[in-house]
Amino acid sequence: MIYASTGAGKSDKKLNYCVMKQVININFQGRVVPIEVSAFDILKLYTDSLNRYFANENGKEEIINDIESRIGELFQERLKTGATCITDEDVNAIIKSMGRPEDFEEVESDNTASAGTSSAENQNANSSNAGSGATGFEYIKSKRLYRSESDKVIGGVCSGLANYFGIDVVVVRIIFAILFFSFGFGLLPYIILWVAVPSTASTQIGSPRKKLFRDNDDKIIGGVCSGIANYFGINVWIPRVLFLLPFLSFVFRLNNSNWGDFPDFFNFSVSPGALFVYIILWLVIPEATSTAEKLEMKGEKVDMNSIKNSVMEEMKGMQHRAEKFGKEAKTFAAEKGQVLGAEIGQVSKRSGKSLGDIIALLFKIFAYFIIGSIAIALVIGLFAFGIVSVGLFPAKDFLLNAGWQNAFAWGTLIFFIAIPIIGIITWIIRRLANIKTNRKVMRSSFVAMWLVGIVSFVGLIISIGQDFRSNSPINEEQITLANPSVNKLELTALSPDKKYFRNNWYSMRPFEVIEDDTAYVRNVTVEIVKSKTDSFMVTILKLANGEDKRTAQKNASLINYNAYQLDSLLVLERGVSVNKTDKFRNQRVIVTVYVPVGKQVRVDESVGWGNSIHFSGPWNNDRDLETVDVERGWNRNTDYIMKENGLYTLDGTAADEYKNGNPSKKKNGIEIRDGKTNITIDENGIIINDGEDNYRYNDETRQKTIDSIKSEMKRDQQSRKDSIQKIKQQLDEELKKLEAPKSTTVKTQQNNYYVLPAYNPMIMMLNK
Amino acid sequence: MNIDNTASQMRKGVLEFCILSVIKQGEAYPSDIIDKMREANLNIFEGTLYPLLTRLKNAELLTYRWVESNSGPPRKYFSLTEKGGQFYSELEATWNELANAVQALTRSPE
Repeated sequence: MIYASTGAGKSDKKLNYCVMKQVININFQGRVVPIEVSAFDILKLYTDSLNRYFANENGKEEIINDIESRIGELFQERLKTGATCITDEDVNAIIKSMGRPEDFEEVESDNTASAGTSSAENQNANSSNAGSGATGFEYIKSKRLYRSESDKVIGGVCSGLANYFGIDVVVVRIIFAILFFSFGFGLLPYIILWVAVPSTASTQIGSPRKKLFRDNDDKIIGGVCSGIANYFGINVWIPRVLFLLPFLSFVFRLNNSNWGDFPDFFNFSVSPGALFVYIILWLVIPEATSTAEKLEMKGEKVDMNSIKNSVMEEMKGMQHRAEKFGKEAKTFAAEKGQVLGAEIGQVSKRSGKSLGDIIALLFKIFAYFIIGSIAIALVIGLFAFGIVSVGLFPAKDFLLNAGWQNAFAWGTLIFFIAIPIIGIITWIIRRLANIKTNRKVMRSSFVAMWLVGIVSFVGLIISIGQDFRSNSPINEEQITLANPSVNKLELTALSPDKKYFRNNWYSMRPFEVIEDDTAYVRNVTVEIVKSKTDSFMVTILKLANGEDKRTAQKNASLINYNAYQLDSLLVLERGVSVNKTDKFRNQRVIVTVYVPVGKQVRVDESVGWGNSIHFSGPWNNDRDLETVDVERGWNRNTDYIMKENGLYTLDGTAADEYKNGNPSKKKNGIEIRDGKTNITIDENGIIINDGEDNYRYNDETRQKTIDSIKSEMKRDQQSRKDSIQKIKQQLDEELKKLEAPKSTTVKTQQNNYYVLPAYNPMIMMLNK
Repeated sequence: MNIDNTASQMRKGVLEFCILSVIKQGEAYPSDIIDKMREANLNIFEGTLYPLLTRLKNAELLTYRWVESNSGPPRKYFSLTEKGGQFYSELEATWNELANAVQALTRSPE
């Protein structure tokens, strides 16, 4: 309506100059009025504010028309006195005498202040309860959530919420205070609301506050950067560079395809982060379309000085307001306490309406709290998922084929993960700010994009599953040991050249190192088995998956994994290398060490537990591999000795205490378990528990048991003796070698430097 | 019992009464009404007057006629309807009673 009557007639817009300002002619209430552009903008804002104020009023158009015609009259008076055009000052003077919507409210507040109470919001809530028909002056309760500038302690969040939900502001404040002091998390929602919810000041006209708009006149993509530049009064290129810089570095790195410092997740995430921020800002910030909005956008410069000034003012008011709030809370608590007491007292007589209200209110708060928690959890979960997938993303070349799978991966990342995050954040902000434009369009486009995401996610999973479908046949290789008869074998692993993950807060455990196009996957399992011979044996089992048997076999055979012996050390490679051409297909290695009885074995810390990034599924044949005699329960960095019945530490504790028939140390005696039979030898004698009854066994069987134990001990002793003898023999040989005073060099035709001991009878014979 | 509400009710009643009494003295143009009220030291914003006048007119207490003006758009001159006259006299009676009562009550203790 107002547009029609103001008739900012574009057709009769003429350009004049008046004190170096642009002047337009407008058709105002049937008269042509020359007015400065800026003055017109102020006027426009004023009439808009009146429109908002009288929005729910019965004779809205008439009232505004009356006011406008009065303004028109005042314009004519002004022009008659000889002014060439209407200036900012003229409009401001007129507005001052007409009064702003907030002045209309003040007519009431003046009264209430003189009446001795202070809470303006109280009055609002109560008077609107009293019925809008009764009085005409009430501020029409807005359905938008604003922070209240007129009744605030810190940021006006509480009174804004109170006004919005029709609750007493003190209740909201007490809730926030309790949340803050008891859990500490009342602060975060407060700050978020403080930032996200517009102040009532933003609805007032001529307020010095600026609004953040997107600048459509000076845009490259969405006008976000120029809008920000306008808001902070800085040059446009500053936000643009800030947005582009991380993105450029991202592209730069992609071109180099160098993920050297890849686990440094933070660097990597900045670029998509900037993109996210841009998109969210684009969706959330309204575009400045009308002249008035453009004026608001440019507004007064927000610089450090003005921020400082407003902070100083805030601080000054803060103490006063806090005191006031304290008093209010006190009287409120006293009042409500009495009321509640009275209510409970009269609950039999009356329906207890207020009590019901309070319960309903508590329920409402509880419900909001639950919904809010779920929403926050959802956002956090999605974020975590997003972070992980972004973190894993550079590893995708090791897993996915170019083409469809790659497209699916991007689709999953963008549409399945990023879109809901953007969507939820946008929804929350729009909800809080009550922006209602294009809701349907936006929702359906989000849903459509997310569906694309689901399709790519499912496609990705299926297509990856295809690639892992088949298993390689079991193909065990034996490693030739340089000296299989050592007494102790110590397993150790080569460290990777570089340890990137050490200093980064985000580390990628399964991928130890990623170099240009090789990743090391720590899929190495070590198993210890009792050797049937008297020498060590090491086998390596290479396994992989593939889309069919043949590819799986090929993938397995391509595994380049080695172990070699250095004296008593068995050096293993740390991980299975995977490159970008052959991809990751569950390549894994099982190193089996066959330890002869009586010899020691130790697995170093550097040999990681076989861990794993396995893609488990029906295709995995790992369980078929389990051999019965695999030793269990051993730890890294511990010396073990192999005995007839398994691994023991050097002080005689069995590595696997649950293994059948393993005698294990009791406090003061020996306990033998064999299935359900339990034999205990201690100061009480021999107790045999066959699982049915506890009784002392007859002498014969006791003797038998003792005999069997004795023989076992004997065998053990014998094997130790044997090994010591063997060592003795070896030592003797060594000693002999050392003691041999001189050796003669025998020249033969084949070999002319053969060293032989002098006393060798063969040589003596040869010499003759 | 809310004091703010009471106060705003009181003030609103008085404002309407004052406007009606100004108009009763003769056809009046809104800015005349403002001027007269300001003379009487009752300062209100012009912007608050228009909605009140519209509401009174919609309640058929006031009527208006257009008068051409040589300075700007035509003006609305308001006058009391018959109903408005009755309404005014009732308000006046109530006001007098109230004023007397309030005066009597506020002075009594001394």
